[in-house]
Amino acid sequence: MYYDALRQGLAAPICLTWELTYACNLLCVHCLSSSGKRAPDELDTTEAKRLLDEWAAMKVFYINVGGGEPMTRPDFFELMEYSIEQGIGVKFSTNGTLLDRRAARWIASTDYLDVQISVDGASPGVNDPIRGEGSFSRARTAMELLAAEGFPFKVNHVVTRRSFQGLDELHAMVTGMGGQLRVTRLRPSGRGKAVWEALKLTQAQNRELYDWLRAHPDVLTGDSFFHLSALGQPLDGLNMCGAGRIVCCVDPRGDVYACPFVLAPEFKAGNVRDSSFGEVWQGSPLFERLRGWEVGGQCRSCGAYDRCHGGCMAVKHFTGVDLDDPDPECVRKPEAGSTATLLPLALKPRAISPRAPAASRTVGSGPQP
Amino acid sequence: MKLSDRVRLDDAVALRPERFGALAYSYRDRQLFFVDHALLPFVESAGGHTLGEIAGDLEAAGKVTKEALPRLLTVLEGLRRRGVLHVL
Ligand code: SF4
Ligand code: SF4
Repeated sequence: MYYDALRQGLAAPICLTWELTYACNLLCVHCLSSSGKRAPDELDTTEAKRLLDEWAAMKVFYINVGGGEPMTRPDFFELMEYSIEQGIGVKFSTNGTLLDRRAARWIASTDYLDVQISVDGASPGVNDPIRGEGSFSRARTAMELLAAEGFPFKVNHVVTRRSFQGLDELHAMVTGMGGQLRVTRLRPSGRGKAVWEALKLTQAQNRELYDWLRAHPDVLTGDSFFHLSALGQPLDGLNMCGAGRIVCCVDPRGDVYACPFVLAPEFKAGNVRDSSFGEVWQGSPLFERLRGWEVGGQCRSCGAYDRCHGGCMAVKHFTGVDLDDPDPECVRKPEAGSTATLLPLALKPRAISPRAPAASRTVGSGPQP
Repeated sequence: MKLSDRVRLDDAVALRPERFGALAYSYRDRQLFFVDHALLPFVESAGGHTLGEIAGDLEAAGKVTKEALPRLLTVLEGLRRRGVLHVL
C-alpha cells in the first residue's frame, strides 16, 4: 500500500549509508566500494559533523556507517558519539579486526548503536579466500568479545555459490552466540564485478535460499532478495528498489550516490561540499528521475511484478542490462552463464596487514566510557 | 480502542512530516511506521482531546467520514500494541 509513497521519495532517506573512508586493512575480492586506500580528499571531522547536523535537522532517524573499514578513521568514536547525541542512531559495519575489548564495552554501553560484522563463510576455508587470510578468526574474536558483553550483534553474510552450503552452520554459530544473521546478495558492484559471474548463486541455490529464508524469519535480508519473492509468498522487508527514493549513499569524499551499490558517475547526484545534502536529496535531477521511474519492459506483464518490481538496478547496471529489463537473476526466466559450483577462480584478498592499523591506536585514545 | 480514550505518542518515537502524512520511528525497537493524513491528528493529539472529539472535528471539517472511523481505530489499536501510542 505504501509502494507508491516510497517510490516517489521521502523527505529524508530511511536507508542512508555513509561510507566513512575508503581505507581498509583487508582487500575483499567482492568489495562493493573497491576499498583499500584512504582517498586523500575524504571529509574531515568538521565536515563530517556538519553533515550529521544537517541530517539531524532533516530528522534522519538512523544511518548505516560503512567504508572501507570505518574503524580505521581516527575520529571514528568521536563521530559515532556525535551522531547519537544528535538523535541519529547508528549501525556500523566492520570486518571486526579492530574491534577489541574496549571497543566491545563501548558498543555495549552506548544506546542506539548497532554493529554488524562481515563474515562470508562458516569457516576460514570458505571465508578467508574471499576476505583474506586470518579474517575469519579475527571476526570470530570480535563476535566473542561482543557476546561476552551480552551485546546482540549482527553478522552480515554476502552469500555466494561457495558459502551457500554453510548457511545453516553460520546461522547456528551466530544465533548460538546471541547474534542475529543478515544475508546479503552478492552484487557486481566495485570489485564484485570481477567475481560476480563465478560467485553468484545458481538458480537452484536461489530457489533453495528462498525456502530457507521463508523458514528462518529471524534472518534479516534488507532489500537483498525481493527478486526471489517472485517464487511465491513475498519475503519480509522492502520489495522494491529504493535507490534515490528512500536509499542513498554518501561516500568518503561527500559524493552522494543513489545507493551504496552504484558508486558510478551515472548515479552520482551531487556532493555535500558543493551544496547541502538536503538540496541534493530533494532537488537533484537524478533522484527526481528515479522517483518518477518504474521498471517497464517485459516486467510490466509479469505476474510477479507486485512482489519484485523488476529487481535490483545495481545488478542490471553493472552487468550491462537495460534498467527496464528484468533482473539478470530473475527467477522467471532461464538461467544464463555457468552453473558450476566450483570454478577455478584466482581469489586474491590480502591477509590482515601486520602493521599496527590506525584504529588500534584510536581505540585507546577515542572517547571511552 | 474506544472513542473516549486519549492517546499520546511514546517518548521514544519521533515523527517526520511526509507527503502522505508522517513517518514515525521508534528509537526503542528501531521500527518505522506510516501515519497517513487521516491518522495524524490522533497520533499528534498528545492526550489533549479524546479520540471521539478529534474524530468529530475531522468529520465536521470533511476530512474523514464516519465509515472510515472503524479502520482508523483499528490502526490506532495496532500502534498501541506496538508501543508507539499509549492510552492515557
Ligand atoms: S540498486 Fe539494488 S541494492 Fe540499490 S537500492 Fe536498488 S535494489 Fe537495493
Ligand atoms: S520478469 Fe521482472 S518482475 Fe517478473 S520476476 Fe523477473 S525481474 Fe521480477
